[in-house]
Amino acid sequence: MATRRTFLRISAAAGLAAPSIVSAQAPGRVVVLGGGFAGATAARTLKALQPSLDVTLVEPNPIYTSCPFSNNVLAALRELSQQQFGYDAVRKSGVTLARTAATAVDAEARTVTLADGNRLSFDRLVMAPGIDINWTALPGYDEAAAQKMPHAWKAGPQTTLLRDQLQAMEDGGLVVMSAPANPFRCPPGPYERASLVAYWLKIWKPKSKLLILDSKDAFSKQRLFQNAWAQLYPGLVEWVPLSQGGKVTSVDPATLTFVTDFGRHKAAVGNVIPPQKAGAIAQQAGVADRSGWCPVEPVSFESTLRPGIHVIGDAAIMGGMPKSAFAANAQAKVCAAAIVERLAGRTPPDPILINTCYSLVAPDYGISIAGVYRPDKGVLADVPGAGGVSPLDVVGGFRGQEAQNAASWFRTITAEVFG
Amino acid sequence: MTSRLLLRGPAGALALAGALAAGAGAAGPAAAADAPLLAPPGASSCTGCHASRPLPDSSIPRIAGRKAGEIVDFMNNYRSGAWPSSVMGRIAKGFDEQQIAAIAAWFAAQPQ
Repeated sequence: MATRRTFLRISAAAGLAAPSIVSAQAPGRVVVLGGGFAGATAARTLKALQPSLDVTLVEPNPIYTSCPFSNNVLAALRELSQQQFGYDAVRKSGVTLARTAATAVDAEARTVTLADGNRLSFDRLVMAPGIDINWTALPGYDEAAAQKMPHAWKAGPQTTLLRDQLQAMEDGGLVVMSAPANPFRCPPGPYERASLVAYWLKIWKPKSKLLILDSKDAFSKQRLFQNAWAQLYPGLVEWVPLSQGGKVTSVDPATLTFVTDFGRHKAAVGNVIPPQKAGAIAQQAGVADRSGWCPVEPVSFESTLRPGIHVIGDAAIMGGMPKSAFAANAQAKVCAAAIVERLAGRTPPDPILINTCYSLVAPDYGISIAGVYRPDKGVLADVPGAGGVSPLDVVGGFRGQEAQNAASWFRTITAEVFG
Repeated sequence: MTSRLLLRGPAGALALAGALAAGAGAAGPAAAADAPLLAPPGASSCTGCHASRPLPDSSIPRIAGRKAGEIVDFMNNYRSGAWPSSVMGRIAKGFDEQQIAAIAAWFAAQPQ
């Protein structure tokens, strides 16, 4: 009995359920580029599912700074240090860390060249490079401009820069935020940010206003956000959609001015959430298309442009799935399982994926959107009848409970990925 | 404790799934023989919110190691709207009975 139990436990841990296949095969080499929610999850899951795999995670930063909940830093509800996570647990899970950047991917030779001069060979490559700011898409907005008008769309120094500008602003100042056209990282993010900045302004700079200049006519959880703004921050938040001249066509960082076809808006604090694209290495590797994002098939998220390379997270075109940390984590787990299957010579089954995104419109007022996705006609499509946003009319502590769930989600996912 | 450990492996999970799904095709003996620790479709997404390891101070309950029948009941009640929920009703509507049974069996076989 003890022997049988031991055998089963080892089987479970080591994935020896198919010894005839696994033991006959050389261990696979999988390289993962990018240590965010997608990449770190993929590396850990690969190792958990198939400990004999040689898994290397390439990530130059020793600390990851999470974008989810970074809007709370702007509203002085959190410190940036609470957004930061190291890679010790990832390393302890058996993943080899290469603390350097990838400079080139050769899809034919199946190698990755690293900034430290080393070269890694792979049987399968997982690319999770996240986003880069598209510095050529908005006239006037370059890396120098981002020091005057922060984007804060990659959490870190940009986040604290924007927070410090808000804190230094005189009461009565106009905060202007521009939101990009789809697709971009975290579709509800600009509106959560507007909400929490409004929350903070209402307390500390109550004569101030917040103007959102939007390149869209509709946005995620729109009615929920707008109802909450009317209820919590009346007269404080103004949203200008595309059809009313909201599209920002250029910025002037010297004067903190946002230019639209209909006028110029001079800000006391300017937050440009700019157009984005897949991280630069995706363009170099040839996995990004002309849109700047990476098309993938919907079962194992293998690039449709470069076989052997999988792309997950914000960089990938995932059909109906939004660019969120929850989605990145879910995609990474599906991708890792599919890679294990494929390295063992099996065909991965069609997956089902879930996304859940919480937004805070105040510290005790949360709203959510959820979706369920499956492959359909070559893309990840919404499962009909599932998903949707929080109800518009609720009773009791519903919004407070969703705010609590948001915080619990963040603790869970960061523990799952980095803890 | 012993029985839970015995059920950790894929064979246990799939056998349970088979029992609950009343002979669903995906859970047959052939699948059990070939499959490594492969979670059924949808299951791996759940741990985005429901922690795979114990986590203090969370308002979101863990589901690993719970009885499969309980998980099925939860999902059915969320799916039908019989129980009020925030995101779970919206998520449960994306799964049919066989998928729910397989996910429940898989989580029941995970360490508590």
